[in-house]
Amino acid sequence: MTTATLSASAPGAQTSSATLTALHGNHACALAAIAAGCRFFAGYPITPSSEIAEHLSYELPKVGGTFVQMEDEIASIAAVAGASLGGLRAMTATSGPGFSLMQENIGYAAMTEIPLVIVDVMRGGPSTGMPTRPAQGDVMQARFGSHGDRPVVALAPASVQEIYEETIRAFDIAERLRTPVTVLYDQVIAHLLESVAVPAPGAVRVIPRKWANGASGPFRPYEAGDDGVPPMVRPGDGHRSHTTGLTHAETGFPTQTPAVVDRMMRRLLGKIDANRALVERFATRATDDADVLIVAYGITARAARRAVDVLRAEGVKAGLFRPITLWPFPEDALKRAASGAKSVLVPEMNAGQLVLEIERVLGGAAPVRRLNRIDGEPIVPHQIVAAVKEIFS
Amino acid sequence: MTDATFSPTDAALGGGEPPFDVREWLRLETMPHFMCPGCGHGIALRTMLWAAHDCGIDKDDLAVVCGIGCSGRIGGYIDANTFHTTHGRPLAFATGLKLARPDLTVVVVTGDGDCLAIGGNHLIHACRRNLDITCLMLNNEVYGMTGGQVSPTTSAHRITSTTQAGNFEPTFDACRLAEAAGAGFVGREVTRQAPALKSLIARAIRHHGFSFVEVMSDCTEIYGRKNELGEAPEMILGQKADMRPEVYNDAPDRPFRPNALPTGVFVERGLPEYGDSVRAHVAAVRTGGTGR
Amino acid sequence: MRPLSHDEFAGAEPHPVASGMNILVVGVGGQGVLMISKALALMAQRQGFQVKQSEVHGMAKRGGIVFSHVRFAERVWSPTIPQGEVDALIALEWAEGLRWLDHLRPGRGVFIADTRKIVPPFACRARTPGAPIAYARETPAEIVGRVAEGWALDATGIATALGDARAANTVLLGRLSAHLDYAPADWQAVIAAIVPKATREINRKAFEAGRAWIAPAMVEAPPPSARTAPAEGPATVPAGRPVVSIDPAWCKGCRICTTLCPEHCLTMQGGVAAVTAPDACTGCHVCEWLCPDFAITVRREGVLG
Repeated sequence: MTTATLSASAPGAQTSSATLTALHGNHACALAAIAAGCRFFAGYPITPSSEIAEHLSYELPKVGGTFVQMEDEIASIAAVAGASLGGLRAMTATSGPGFSLMQENIGYAAMTEIPLVIVDVMRGGPSTGMPTRPAQGDVMQARFGSHGDRPVVALAPASVQEIYEETIRAFDIAERLRTPVTVLYDQVIAHLLESVAVPAPGAVRVIPRKWANGASGPFRPYEAGDDGVPPMVRPGDGHRSHTTGLTHAETGFPTQTPAVVDRMMRRLLGKIDANRALVERFATRATDDADVLIVAYGITARAARRAVDVLRAEGVKAGLFRPITLWPFPEDALKRAASGAKSVLVPEMNAGQLVLEIERVLGGAAPVRRLNRIDGEPIVPHQIVAAVKEIFS
Repeated sequence: MTDATFSPTDAALGGGEPPFDVREWLRLETMPHFMCPGCGHGIALRTMLWAAHDCGIDKDDLAVVCGIGCSGRIGGYIDANTFHTTHGRPLAFATGLKLARPDLTVVVVTGDGDCLAIGGNHLIHACRRNLDITCLMLNNEVYGMTGGQVSPTTSAHRITSTTQAGNFEPTFDACRLAEAAGAGFVGREVTRQAPALKSLIARAIRHHGFSFVEVMSDCTEIYGRKNELGEAPEMILGQKADMRPEVYNDAPDRPFRPNALPTGVFVERGLPEYGDSVRAHVAAVRTGGTGR
Repeated sequence: MRPLSHDEFAGAEPHPVASGMNILVVGVGGQGVLMISKALALMAQRQGFQVKQSEVHGMAKRGGIVFSHVRFAERVWSPTIPQGEVDALIALEWAEGLRWLDHLRPGRGVFIADTRKIVPPFACRARTPGAPIAYARETPAEIVGRVAEGWALDATGIATALGDARAANTVLLGRLSAHLDYAPADWQAVIAAIVPKATREINRKAFEAGRAWIAPAMVEAPPPSARTAPAEGPATVPAGRPVVSIDPAWCKGCRICTTLCPEHCLTMQGGVAAVTAPDACTGCHVCEWLCPDFAITVRREGVLG
């Protein structure tokens, strides 16, 4: 392990100094969770995410937190939701098969507005697939995995540093918007050792959860202010509210009155849109004059960045748009980046998932090509270079 | 076997103690509840609140975690911190809640399908972990909410909407399951014996560790009707017969449940409570020990 | 809008069912909405029509809304009936009928409803005994006068008089049958094919009663009897005597208390329990403890609570 001191760039980090540490992706995720105030973890072993649980079983007790290994992923997410209802910042970590098992309760957390963080380290699928091989196959599961319409936030870091930053941001978004947030990254970054600027202890700004107070008078636990996010009720504080996954009114009790259901559902879905500035994050490289725009995320974006440099050196005007927030998709940013492009290429380690959203956003403004790899190997720069050259040949 | 019969000398008659008024524990704006006429779950709800009253629990510090089904709807009527979670998962939610908030009294209300079928895995591990949660499993032998399908506790030969020719699946003995899985406290009582049931639940709540109470309840409108078990009065009287199988097993007016189950407290043992173990580990780590 | 007279009922001619019909059957859980639908569907099928029936049910719990669309014609495309195209609306519960009134074909649709009210639990705002319930205030006369053809009858009462309140649905089916020109024997055959063997006779009678029913006069539906009136305890109670009070708004009439009271203090009156022999009460609390609906309280006179 090597250490040095440098300036931290993590959002949420308000410190001038940080320690540069070499960390594996999953280790960085665990440390970031602690820094973000996570005090409860429930999980179930699954490759390639297990190191997160292992590190947290060691780290959480040091800060007075609780680690529990549950009987399965369904129980894990349920326990996380229960702990969050109790007032703790809580998280679980898993991979594709476990993520599938969690979906019902993720929907429950979205519906009842329980803040929590799920880390999904993507591996080759479908089914048991390739537990030790990377993939990006859970992009649509993160978006549509749970039944019904629900608010969805998914973040896709591309480096170990970014895993640290995005894990902290995930807690921030989850707590401020009262919603589950998924951190999606693949097996390569999970097990990649890189230098990470770790902020000094206590330097990460942790915004406390908005609690309901003033126990007197009739109370409507799901009545939100302008931001669309109602304050949360802490058991024991005197409000004695009801929490249900049934469609409920502002009172917290079930309703099927169409006007009330419509109002509640639009508020639930709308709170993400209303706070896009907080949620959306993306990066661009050489997009201003790009003839061909490569849209890539996670590990694939690293190959794409190299491909852009190679192509530029050969005189091809290539650019990279890298969404860090996958859901909600940064639509306006992509439209701006693609405004001058004659062609768009979307390399993904799946059979074509995020490309569907990109096609939808661009609406035919430029032809969108795909480059898909589903053999358990990461996409490499020369594949992207070749694909771009093919477009122009 | 408990044989607590009703007696006018029972302390709850309104003597010197603060009397129990169930309405003080209900969310009156949600009443009357939506359960069918004669449903045993209403009696179970009363005994649970009565037990909480007897234990001197503050409503603010009571968390009721429910699953899905007729039993799952009970929480909505209780003036406490109530959580109507997903099907089969209330014990898992409660595990997180109790670990986060050991100051709360956490009671899980679940049903035979919720607890033993879809939630069976969570039950055995909750028993094994022995976290200080009280689990009330309301056993009416059927999935009432969805229209009366066979459940893991449906008695032999019973007609349900998915066993139209009679049930041929073996049934669970939930109490023996809980005991084998490691629960610190295990008991069973029928709703007919409301005061005894109340005392049993109160004892379960006071027990430090995981306590499992099976409440034998009646589904009158669906199960009772389909199986010609009579209406609510006949069914609740039939529970009494259950407790003396030696008398009733061969009787022509066979009782509600042909395979009568014993009642009472079966297990009460002091095992390490999971929350204590977690906190001891955390304390050891923080005071410089390795915690290992 | 026209008021219905006795004569008009008597002279109503059956509809010739040449081109098919849209029939909407509504009610709450457990009333037998689906049985009526099944009978209609089977009848139409036997007459050579294509039938589509779609229903919403599943909340078997008391008070859950149940409705069923039955469409039959030479060819049926959509499984559901658009608003304003219902030829006959059969309501097994009064307020449910009102909820769906706008689906009737303006000027032509037939409305057949049981005037009995099943007050959903959430409509009871009763914190204290005798508090009013929130329920549709429209009277049957008012509603029947508003539709082209309206029949509001106490089907539950008729069925109860015949021996089983559960046959109320068949009473309504009988009333509907008077609007469709199929032979009563055909209807009876359909019903016999659907209902359990043991209930064939009662259903036969219920069908006949409904078919033959003529409005005596459009009167107000029976008031929900004791459900809206507080139970009055005895005017004076000897000191220390146990006092049983029953909140009829919460009582669902399960008969546990009346059956299990060792002193027979309670009896059923108008579908709810009532204290009829207060002096015999020993204060044993059995009725209170075993009431699944929290409708009963037993207190010693002079004891707070």
